[in-house]
Amino acid sequence: MNLLADKKIKRSQEPMASAATPDLDPGSQTAEAADRYMSRGSGPVARARTQVAAGLKPAAGLPDLKPMFEVQDLNLYYSKFQALKHINLTIPAHQVTAFIGPSGCGKSTLLRCFNRMNDLLEEVRIDGRILMDGRDLRGPQTDVVELRTKVGMVFQQPNPFPMSIFDNVAYGLRCQGIKDRVYLRQVVETSLKKAALYDEVKDELDKNATKLSGGQQQRLCIARAIALQPQVILMDEPTSALDPIATLKIEELMNDLKKEYTIVIVTHSMQQAARISDKTAFFLLGEVVEFDDTVTMFNNPSDKRTEDYISGRFG
Amino acid sequence: MNDRQPNALMLQHNRQRRKISDKIWRALFLISCVLSALMIVLIIIFIAVKGIRVFLPGYEYGQQNFWDFLTGMTWRQDSKTYGVGFIVINTFTTAAFAALLSFPVATLTALFIVKIAPERLRVAFTTVIELLAAIPSVVYGVFASGAITKLVQQLAAFFGQTSAAGISALSVILLLAIMIFPTICSMAIVAIQAVGKSLEWGSLALGASQTQTNFKVVLSAAKSGIFAGLVLGLGRAFGEATAVTMVAGNAMSGPSWNLFDTTRTLTTTMLSGMHETSGLDYDIRFSAGLVLMAVILLTNALIHLIKRKIGGVDHE
Repeated sequence: MNLLADKKIKRSQEPMASAATPDLDPGSQTAEAADRYMSRGSGPVARARTQVAAGLKPAAGLPDLKPMFEVQDLNLYYSKFQALKHINLTIPAHQVTAFIGPSGCGKSTLLRCFNRMNDLLEEVRIDGRILMDGRDLRGPQTDVVELRTKVGMVFQQPNPFPMSIFDNVAYGLRCQGIKDRVYLRQVVETSLKKAALYDEVKDELDKNATKLSGGQQQRLCIARAIALQPQVILMDEPTSALDPIATLKIEELMNDLKKEYTIVIVTHSMQQAARISDKTAFFLLGEVVEFDDTVTMFNNPSDKRTEDYISGRFG
Repeated sequence: MNDRQPNALMLQHNRQRRKISDKIWRALFLISCVLSALMIVLIIIFIAVKGIRVFLPGYEYGQQNFWDFLTGMTWRQDSKTYGVGFIVINTFTTAAFAALLSFPVATLTALFIVKIAPERLRVAFTTVIELLAAIPSVVYGVFASGAITKLVQQLAAFFGQTSAAGISALSVILLLAIMIFPTICSMAIVAIQAVGKSLEWGSLALGASQTQTNFKVVLSAAKSGIFAGLVLGLGRAFGEATAVTMVAGNAMSGPSWNLFDTTRTLTTTMLSGMHETSGLDYDIRFSAGLVLMAVILLTNALIHLIKRKIGGVDHE
């Protein structure tokens, strides 16, 4: 029934429309969101949604949404090289935020800070803070493993595990010690449905996931992340290894997913950023040059460098 | 026209030459391939012809009954009784037990070396394993008859068993376990190294711990190569003759399920005293060789079957 509700919203709100007029129609949007979140439980985000629905205005600068991540003066060094310089930005919840910019400008590096994948790289040094629900991600109270169940990630190359489709989707839950077969089956099914893959694979859940097509594999990876019911899904150029049709499917999917999840996506394609995102951050040489509503950014960039990049003069 | 411009005739000539050289190289590759395949075929034919001869009518030293040979549980030169049944069982059990001991340790060692050990330790361990693989089998044999048998003798005494100075099936098993360890381990190392970082990251990003990632994703993705190592290791265990002969003891009948008893494997049967004998006793060793090849082929087939069963979704 949840899915049905989502479908309705999808029809009533085209992606660009919702991005262009967030202030005009906050009521219906947030009420829907609150509904969904009440049924889902009470996270801090859910509380924020309810507050908004009740007419309380959250912090200024974010018209209708609570921040998911607040990056505060973040610097990141790979050994001597400074990859990120004084990053300050706020990722709003339940929006699609796109990171664009030329190669090697720090987009993926920042993305990996949100689920602390940079911990796996040697010689990485980070200072500054990233707050999630008001807590520092890198602080002692944050458990990395728990963080990664809340902040899922989809990689550039589809990376399904060499096991069955079912086992791939159930993997995260099983790692959390969940063994209940009936429950696992339910979650696998709903996750695959949400990732728009269920109809294609429902009769062959035992099939090796590596035998799926590239686009299907990537949607499987999304399903795998969704199965953990995360708050955020990070996507690192999720469509760059896919053909145009598979890309289109993933883009449509993101539009559905943002109702339930906050999405941060790194993309090389400005068209993709324009098509799917609500907010866009433009990166250059480790700095965020501009961060704004996607519509504003693409129609009326305030920085000359952004304008040059968007109009294709470099990059 | 610029005289540095390559002339068309020359270019065409070069193309012709390249075509011919392609053909020659292809023929060379084919020849070397055929040669190596031919070796195997020749060996099999030779062993088969020599081995089957003793069962054929008109064999000069007295025709043997093939069925008695396969199922016989005694091997005595003095009474000319040649039964290979218990020897096959011994060969199989010693190799299997050795693999059972070696395989888990080797796999975990490989995992440790590739995924967990810090750089320096990794280099040190890899060198150790390469060295282990390079030790000649006769050296292993000397070590086994000097050290392992002593240990086994003490163990036997501890359990109130008698053993022929430690010459026993258990000694063979321990020796083989050590000998096949580097084979299995180095194959496992290669297989685990080949697992892409992306799978590991994918697992960690789903909130799996490093240990869960190693066991559930890395090992499962490396399964194929690890099993290939097991097959090679078993092959070595089945085929090792020199070192095994030094601690096996050439039991004349069996099988004995007491690990402290002496044993006899197909290879020891073939090897010991080969040059001091002739006639039937000499020829029947080829029959034992034929059986050994059959055992190895069957085991390989079995392992592939098991792999497919538990692998289920292995990437071929």
